[in-house]
Amino acid sequence: MNAPQHASLIGQRIPKMDAPEKVAGKTRYIQDLNLPGQLYGLILRTERVHARIVSIDTSAAKALPGVRAVLTAADVPIHPIGVNKDNPPLKGDKVRCERDEVAAVAADSLEIAQAAIKLIKVEYEDLPPIFDPRDSIKDGAPVIHAAKPDNVAMAFDYAHGDVERGEAESDVVVEDEFTLHRVTHCCMGVSGVIADFEPVSGNLTLYSNTQVPFLHKREFAEVLGMDPSRIRIIQPPIGGGFGSKLDIYPFEPIAVYLAKATRRPVKLIFTREEEFIASPTRQPAIIRLRSGAKKDGTLTFRTVDVLLDNGGYTSWGATIPFVMMQTFSSLYRVPHCRYHTKAVYTNNPFAGSFRGYGNLQATFAIEQQMDKMADALGIEPYEFRLKNAQNAGEVTGQGMHFKTCGFQDCLETAAGRSGFVEKRKALGAAKGLSGVRRGVGMASMLHVGGGAKIYPSDGCGTILKLDDFGHVTIMTGASEIGQGSETVLAQLVCEELGVPMSAVTVVNNDTDITPWDVGVHASRTTFIAGNSAIGAARKAKDKILAAAATVSNMKAEEMDLKGGNIVRASDGEKVMPLAKMLRQLHFSDKAELVMTTNYYEPPSVHQDKGFKGDVSAAYAWATQVVEVEVDTDTGIVKLLKVWAAHDVGRVLNEMGIEGQIEGGIIMGQGYALCEDMPVVEGHLVNPAFRDYKLITAPEIPEMDISFIETMDGEGPQGAKGVGEAPSICMAAAVANAIENATGVRIASLPFTPERVYSALKGRPL
Amino acid sequence: MTAIERYLAPAGLDDALAALAGGNATILAGGTDLMPQINAGKVAFRPILLNIRRIPELRAVEVGQGRISIGALVTINELKDNPVIAKAVPLLAEAADHFASDQVRNMGTIGGNVANASPAGDTLVPLLVLDAEVELASATGRRSVPMAEFFTGPGRSVRRPDELITALSLPLPRLRTVSRFVKFGTRPALDISAVSIGFSATLDGGRLSDVRVAFGAVGPVPMRGRATEAVLEGAALDAAIIAKAAATAQGEVKPIDDLRASAWYRRELIHNLLGKVLSDVVSR
Repeated sequence: MNAPQHASLIGQRIPKMDAPEKVAGKTRYIQDLNLPGQLYGLILRTERVHARIVSIDTSAAKALPGVRAVLTAADVPIHPIGVNKDNPPLKGDKVRCERDEVAAVAADSLEIAQAAIKLIKVEYEDLPPIFDPRDSIKDGAPVIHAAKPDNVAMAFDYAHGDVERGEAESDVVVEDEFTLHRVTHCCMGVSGVIADFEPVSGNLTLYSNTQVPFLHKREFAEVLGMDPSRIRIIQPPIGGGFGSKLDIYPFEPIAVYLAKATRRPVKLIFTREEEFIASPTRQPAIIRLRSGAKKDGTLTFRTVDVLLDNGGYTSWGATIPFVMMQTFSSLYRVPHCRYHTKAVYTNNPFAGSFRGYGNLQATFAIEQQMDKMADALGIEPYEFRLKNAQNAGEVTGQGMHFKTCGFQDCLETAAGRSGFVEKRKALGAAKGLSGVRRGVGMASMLHVGGGAKIYPSDGCGTILKLDDFGHVTIMTGASEIGQGSETVLAQLVCEELGVPMSAVTVVNNDTDITPWDVGVHASRTTFIAGNSAIGAARKAKDKILAAAATVSNMKAEEMDLKGGNIVRASDGEKVMPLAKMLRQLHFSDKAELVMTTNYYEPPSVHQDKGFKGDVSAAYAWATQVVEVEVDTDTGIVKLLKVWAAHDVGRVLNEMGIEGQIEGGIIMGQGYALCEDMPVVEGHLVNPAFRDYKLITAPEIPEMDISFIETMDGEGPQGAKGVGEAPSICMAAAVANAIENATGVRIASLPFTPERVYSALKGRPL
Repeated sequence: MTAIERYLAPAGLDDALAALAGGNATILAGGTDLMPQINAGKVAFRPILLNIRRIPELRAVEVGQGRISIGALVTINELKDNPVIAKAVPLLAEAADHFASDQVRNMGTIGGNVANASPAGDTLVPLLVLDAEVELASATGRRSVPMAEFFTGPGRSVRRPDELITALSLPLPRLRTVSRFVKFGTRPALDISAVSIGFSATLDGGRLSDVRVAFGAVGPVPMRGRATEAVLEGAALDAAIIAKAAATAQGEVKPIDDLRASAWYRRELIHNLLGKVLSDVVSR
């Protein structure tokens, strides 16, 4: 009766499946791929920031031996890309920012392409530029896109309740302006594509780093005027995404144009400098926030006015106001809220999508102001937050329904483990402007944790097959971009089918094989693709157990799959090996293979025109407390420790989720303390890691990570998405900690030593 | 596009000096400054690329007659790890520990750091306060130039195109010498100084003598702080003298605004950090 006990894989520490190859340097990224007969593509960028193109002379470049094609806008169909259709891959009439593509070369070698680019002569007539988004909306401002004469790329208005009434009921009203800077993803794998156009069949194969292959395929078909079914996207292992690969960018259609023109495969890979200049950034924002509360600490209203610097073109990133408004309207219970955002064109580098998607900016504003309001009310900031924090069951003014909500647990856990209240009081009493001071700060966040129904479908498909030996292949639409999704999907399937991790292969990188998925964004993959994979596995299990019932004396529901065997559910007693059952099915009169499909669509809804609706199937929460040391002689802020409490629904892979949270904290730390892209008159000043300061190993703080498991009813095994959440709170928490240490509140980022020192000296930057 | 016509890698110094005689050679040692500058288009190769890394005598470290000679090809990591250097001039070994990354330190050389003449060069401020001399050789002769007279501007020095830096020669510090090096950047590793400060003096009976102060990244060249030295020479380090020295230093540096820091902030840092350095000297 001593049947083997098979421990659940859920919550275990499981190394990522792709880790050994990566650690051994064996992973073949797009840089390592070469096709027979391949040419090298290179783009000529304008370096002007706003100018009319008078003429382009490519004759000398075309005459250079080894050059196979030189293209300008005159040679290709005019089909602008991007969410506003405002970005022609090759610019014909005018250029709007320094990265703009004016010509492209395909040559036998990169060196020849580089030489050819230098031979292209472009004549420009400069136009008056705009560098400050506040100037974009002034009367008489230069027009950047003729189709948008007011320079407004997108505008969003949202309201619930009656803010005038809320303000009338307020005992304390606080208003602030926050200024957020420009940073970029710094993926270790730079952008690149190989376009392989087969002239005979008309098929186009793209080797691409995209994180949204199916949307990509559709947009490519539109841009190229092709039948989408002729386009196949294969993703080599991707060296990081973080949102940077959510859009189609000009270099991708350009590579296809070059491949079509030359009838040869064209490889186009960015240099690191190009990656800095020509890949997207996080949105710089100016946020004016006004909030009120009653004496007892109840929030009464909030009005928000946000100005986003869109840069020269519009990417998906211009839709970050969707996410920002969730934080303003629904992180805390606010009875009355009004929100207005404009994303305006400037001649700066253009902004895109980035992990956190507007929430870092919104949380920076709201969580600093919560501290200020608490001080104005004479209430401890932790108590003030707890009093207004959302609870399970709440439906917010924006229509978000928090079926599970660990916010108050996150607050209590982070505060309790850090000793926040006592520390803040003691350090605050000693705050000052000399010597080395310490402070603690707290911030919390709300983010979608069960997908986001923005596209017509937020679903993901899975095809699952078992071979004659019990090996499982999962074909999923969900891309792996380093976040660990293939491991967690394999784990969820193993849990259902009772097989070890070694019995699973995940295929997730070929649109000709894998079923549709909307893409890697909105922290959705574990939740959506996980539910899809579980569904496919359950169908397979049903089929296997039904077959087992025909050859045993048990009913299907009396059996289970464990340890590679079909077992009796009641006591785990082995009935027969799984592989034997699979072979019996296959090589019998039935002649069946176990292959299943599943498409999971989350039970969320599209927002209405007023941006109301329960847009995600679950919501993630977190509170982070930081302790910092401020050297008032230099302005250096040292991050000593982070206490992070996250409502993750349930931990699936403890090692994976720790990695996500640690990485997110460090990304948030970089945003808070040192990463910056100074742009002077439209030109990026520091396109290199020498001067773009990422966090290095000695600066990484001690971390105390707590998981709040709310066991979400819709989540896969109870889990919620967590990909973006850990980066969101850091800047706000550090700002509050600096105030606790020094008494000085800084409303603009990043907290570089000079910015902090200037603020301590009362000197405007 | 490169215009290298000949690549030479001589094993002897005389051959290298002969190749340099025409003044049309680019010298390659560690390449950690040269190659990024070439790649960025800031420097162009001359017709001859002269690799000096096979010349053994440029690697020598020798102590004698009250001085230490450090060959131009000694790498930054060797400065840090060589026990002879660490014993004779610990300040230099300490500065090497603040230098870039291990990868750069494995390749970058002390001669290259001097030849590059960056106002922010990490070994230059310690070499200044250690009173180093730059040993130069050409086909026509040899000469020594004191560090304080070597630099003429950012990236420029008195070294002629036909001259090679062969070594740095430093007097061995006297007994009771105290020395300090502070590099300030925005992060603890892999950073280029916003400012740096070197200090060396003999501390005897509570009084300072033979005071040398130098500053990096606060002017067109790494500079000696002569006015600050004058305040400290012969003085007992009390709070008033420290304050006066810090204020003098703040006044005598000539920083500019750039990507890494504003001139105002650099002056503030010089004031505050020199004060910290001197207070630290007192407390030991």
